Amino acid sequence: MKIFIDPPNSLILFDLVERFGHEPLGAMAPIQDRIDKIELDMPPMNVTLDDVVKGLKYAGIEVPSGIRGRLALWGPLIDIADAAITMSEPPFNFGCVGCERSNEMVRYLIRRRGIPHLIIGYPEDGDEAKAVVGQIKEFLEGLK
Amino acid sequence: MIKIAQLSCGSEYSSVQSEIEKAAQSVGAKVVYPDVSYADVNDAVKRFGFRPRSPQLQLMIARAVQLADEKYDADAVFITTCFRCAEAALVRNELRRFIQENTRLPVVTYSFTERLKAAQLLTRMEALVTIVTRKDVLARERQTGLTAGIDSGSSTTKALIMENNKIIGKDWTTSGDVVQSATSVLENAMKEAGVELKQIEAIGVTGYGRFTLGRHFNAKLVQEELTVNSKGAVWLADRQRGEATILDIGGMDNKAITVRDGVPDNFTMGGICAGASGRFLEMTSKRLKIEIEDLGRLADKGNWRNAKMNSYCSVFGIQDLVTSLGEGKHFEDVAAAACHSVAEQVYEQQLQEIDVRHPIIQVGGTSLISGLVTAVGEVLGERPIVPPHSQYIGALGGALLSSGFL
Amino acid sequence: MSEERETRIFMISPNSMTTPDQLVREIHAMGKGVTAKETCYGTLVEGPRALVREVLATVRGKHPYDIYSKVRAYPTGDPRRCRAQHGTRPGYSQLEAEWELLPLIQHGLICSDKGEPFEVPKEKDKLPAEEFKKICEAIR
Repeated sequence: MKIFIDPPNSLILFDLVERFGHEPLGAMAPIQDRIDKIELDMPPMNVTLDDVVKGLKYAGIEVPSGIRGRLALWGPLIDIADAAITMSEPPFNFGCVGCERSNEMVRYLIRRRGIPHLIIGYPEDGDEAKAVVGQIKEFLEGLK
Repeated sequence: MIKIAQLSCGSEYSSVQSEIEKAAQSVGAKVVYPDVSYADVNDAVKRFGFRPRSPQLQLMIARAVQLADEKYDADAVFITTCFRCAEAALVRNELRRFIQENTRLPVVTYSFTERLKAAQLLTRMEALVTIVTRKDVLARERQTGLTAGIDSGSSTTKALIMENNKIIGKDWTTSGDVVQSATSVLENAMKEAGVELKQIEAIGVTGYGRFTLGRHFNAKLVQEELTVNSKGAVWLADRQRGEATILDIGGMDNKAITVRDGVPDNFTMGGICAGASGRFLEMTSKRLKIEIEDLGRLADKGNWRNAKMNSYCSVFGIQDLVTSLGEGKHFEDVAAAACHSVAEQVYEQQLQEIDVRHPIIQVGGTSLISGLVTAVGEVLGERPIVPPHSQYIGALGGALLSSGFL
Repeated sequence: MSEERETRIFMISPNSMTTPDQLVREIHAMGKGVTAKETCYGTLVEGPRALVREVLATVRGKHPYDIYSKVRAYPTGDPRRCRAQHGTRPGYSQLEAEWELLPLIQHGLICSDKGEPFEVPKEKDKLPAEEFKKICEAIR
């Protein structure tokens, strides 16, 4: 099944979802789609004006362009996801997930779709890490 | 290669990062990101004392701290975030202040929309590069020899001739064809000065038409208006040393520049909206069927409080004006309200992005509209200095700086 | 490379005994014809998707707990994301942070494979205002 991961660029979530036999939907695929198009020359990510305009599907014109651009990348993935996993309050949201308003909206879009959604906390110690891995495994197995 | 450190949030997702880089490249600069590690981010945010929710803004803070601590080598700083993001606007301005307090790097801030094109950033990037690479040229305080300056602006074209640090000829006209307008004002200025083109030892050009004029006149100096106007303003106001704020409400965009010894270290140029520019006053005088030259005197006789006009947009502003006239308001009050509305918007949109230093020197064609100067004084609580020939700052700066090439 | 290109980050947990150099040699020894580039945290592997997945399966089989992987959008050495061009990109701090978390995830995975029970941490509630008031009054 297709599992949207939030933060969408997380190595740990990507790895665990794949390890437990599902297809992670993250930030990398839509970016790869764009950067591999040599006809586009908007480095570094080839996010184009068209993308930012498409972001209007998820947020209105009064919303900053950076949010609309991000939602144009992740929004379509949420639209096709069968389930989602969120790691809340990770201390490492940089890069693709650098805008907290976009991140909030991503979580809301998942909720609005009504798909199974596991929200786990960021682990602080061994016991919590055990719970994180255990919950992810249980959640993914339950989807089969 | 000049290294411009970019502190930003959202540019890569707004389709504008490549435009930023194009603008930098076209003026011989390169955009760089100060190196930071994960641990640096936390330490920097703690030290800075402002913890934004968005991690990318935290990263901006960490990058600024790297620059302040001289752990990363850059020549200038460009701070840019998404237009309409409140959290980013707070961080952007406080980081600009932090950079100015902790480094000697020139800095410019900008809030972009997805429509940003490289051309809009060109003047700003060019100014950053000029400040870094032309320190010697910008240090010039006295004009020598016989030189001319031409300022090809969006509304008017100005020419000025100087000899041994004195103005000996000048002229201006409304801008039409770039070369024709410039040729005509230069000829009239030369006539007044009693000199011929072949006697002129160097020409300096600035303004929107500078590249075309630079080629046409084989100018020794082709330079953006931010640095050239600053030099012209402090020369005319006799404030070459120390600090000042230069305010130029132009035809298409407004400039607010803070200077130290005549060299800008921070500036803003009207960005997304031209609603509060001199163009609005031009539209107002047309609607009042008076010459723009008379608008200021008329405004001085009126009271802005009697006519409501406080729109951010020149289109809605004109609607306010039509409504006021329809209600039978006096022309004087309407003229005063138009001036006040421009001053208020300059204060709200431009002057919030810099730290105003004293004195404030108001220049440019609109500084001749006395009602506007009065309004700016009222809004800022301090009447700006308007030096003589204040509309000629760009042309004078061109004549002054080009003499450095003799 | 065609649409089939897959570039993958293999990240070695900080408490692993495997070095990036060993991992690169291991991958080369598989003879899959993919490229493997050593990095400070592990390796970048690039090649046709099917082959990269085979490498992934082998690496996971051999290092079930101390090597983690995700795909990377940019090809190896892409100047648009190269550190030498502009300085570090924002995603780098993210990778560093996740790298620090890997030993905990490793612990979680081992426990999970052993079938150990886990307890979901309870969310801490804020102290009710009434109780806080009582405490304040007791101190006063």
